[in-house]
Amino acid sequence: MHKLQITNKHRFIGFALIGLVVYILSDVVDEWRSFQGATIAVYIVAIASVILLTGYSGQISLGHGALLAVGAYSAALTQIYFHVPIWVCFAAAVLVTALFGAILGAAAARLSGPYLAGTTLALAVGLPSIANQFSILGGEQGISFDAGWPPLSFGDSFTQYKWFFWIASLAALIAMWWVQNILRSRYGRTWRAVKTNEVAAEIAGINIGRSKVLAFTVSAGLAGLAGALLAMTMNNVSPSAFPLALSFSIATGAVLSGVNTLGGVMIGSVALVAIPEIASLISDRWSSSENLATILPEFIVNALLILTVFLAPKGPIEKLRSRHSK
Amino acid sequence: MFNFINTLLIGITAGSIYSLMAIAIVLVWRSTRVVNFAAGGLALASSFVGAAVLETTGSFWVALPLAMIAGALFSAFIEYFFLRPLLKRSGGKGEEIFLPIIATLGLLGIIKAILNYIYGDRVGSLPPPLSDKGFIVSGQSIALSPMRILILGTVLVLMAFLTLIFQRTNLGLSLRASSFAPEISRLAGIRVDLIRTVGWAISGAAGATAGILQTTNGSGSIAPESFEFSLLLVFGFVAAVIGGIESLIGAVVGGLTLGIVLAIILMYVGGSLVFFAAFLILILVLLLRPHGIIGVKGGRRA
Repeated sequence: MHKLQITNKHRFIGFALIGLVVYILSDVVDEWRSFQGATIAVYIVAIASVILLTGYSGQISLGHGALLAVGAYSAALTQIYFHVPIWVCFAAAVLVTALFGAILGAAAARLSGPYLAGTTLALAVGLPSIANQFSILGGEQGISFDAGWPPLSFGDSFTQYKWFFWIASLAALIAMWWVQNILRSRYGRTWRAVKTNEVAAEIAGINIGRSKVLAFTVSAGLAGLAGALLAMTMNNVSPSAFPLALSFSIATGAVLSGVNTLGGVMIGSVALVAIPEIASLISDRWSSSENLATILPEFIVNALLILTVFLAPKGPIEKLRSRHSK
Repeated sequence: MFNFINTLLIGITAGSIYSLMAIAIVLVWRSTRVVNFAAGGLALASSFVGAAVLETTGSFWVALPLAMIAGALFSAFIEYFFLRPLLKRSGGKGEEIFLPIIATLGLLGIIKAILNYIYGDRVGSLPPPLSDKGFIVSGQSIALSPMRILILGTVLVLMAFLTLIFQRTNLGLSLRASSFAPEISRLAGIRVDLIRTVGWAISGAAGATAGILQTTNGSGSIAPESFEFSLLLVFGFVAAVIGGIESLIGAVVGGLTLGIVLAIILMYVGGSLVFFAAFLILILVLLLRPHGIIGVKGGRRA
């Protein structure tokens, strides 16, 4: 049977094509679509972070919003106190959050199942609120994070949101390239081995604790990047930007994408951004009830979530793949 | 000293309500190995039922039991129509707990959306049925009021009732057996599926009670996006995990620990650290005992 072998070269061409599509898109869409595009890029990185941790390494996180908050605050503080270029702030966000993730992961590696779920949930609720305690974090108003205006050489018509769209898409592309490589590397295989069977993995000479902590560190680094990008699109970092609902949305997006396959990450991110808009279209056309308009997005997202859990628990991509191979 | 005793009393009251919510979560975990986030939504929905009954009959003492029955029915409904087919599909394997968790999160969202659709901006009202003015001891008002005694009493009675069911009745024996060894229980003639639904129903009733007490102890009114209920769900779950998520006594120990420590922090350190403190307590307990205060490594408690 002939089987197409996908090599890294093919993947690179794929990534370049996606980049090209984004580049062309950014020229034709308006401000609002650019903003949505940037938001999709943020979700892609955040969801990839959950998929890496839960789908590949087998550790549950319900608290990714907290990691995003760490990234956002570190990026903003780096900018305020060191006045460095924006990309250094992103790098700082990744490093600080990865370090935070390593510490958290060292504690989390001992926990499993509901204990880990509870710990991450409590973190998501607890961490953003400490911004109110320390004045350096700016309290409820938060602190500003300014990605700056696009370079003048891009011309007058180059809008702020288009600039955000570019930065976020580029960051997401680089991050995803790196993630799909690491998942195919020795580390990725180690994580999957530990997830599938801890005892067998240990017998094969894998240090289980180290593998889990490393997964947590990498996942946190990604979440930190997502947080910094999110802060950029909002020009600001405040506790209210990281509610429990954000953590739940990211987990939802991961399930919609298929929690065991990185390839579906676009599906969940686009769904999270598109559903509110689709919902408002529906309620505009068929109903004048204001009540319906407010609840419809939440209802559709959650109904879709439950349908996915029932019909395609391994995600839409795996579902198609298994149907194809039959 | 006076202050400290008052803080303790406030903490014990709040903690006993968290314990009830924790019990609701523990009961579901024991019977089906599902972390049930929908419990928060169920508590909210049954509290709305309670508020509606209170509005028509005017009596809290009718509203509370009816809300409990409603909670039990809602909870059994969800188990029967959502979780049972879901777990059958996934083969009931214990280690894949992420998808059921997310499914219950989805249910929580749907319950909230439906409540939002029905109630919108209106709020349900559940004022305290007894005076919430503290008793006067040697000229000073202490934080123990008839209302607080009612809350503590309700929780104690429910606890005693549950312990009785679990330790002294055939139903309790079946509940324990089917969570300990479902296959063997089935062979011994226990209708495990039915027993699981009963476990969920009891959990729903406990959650409904927690919801109503939380509302009367707090603002006295409920809204679909109530912050008090998010608190109840999160702290109830944290309390269950602190206690080891397998044991009812653990849930109570966890709830009281959390309630008391948080009250002390709120009193002496400041409000903005309360949520972070809940995380710290949890991680400290789990670092010392990765399976909770009462939990046993690797084993299930019957």
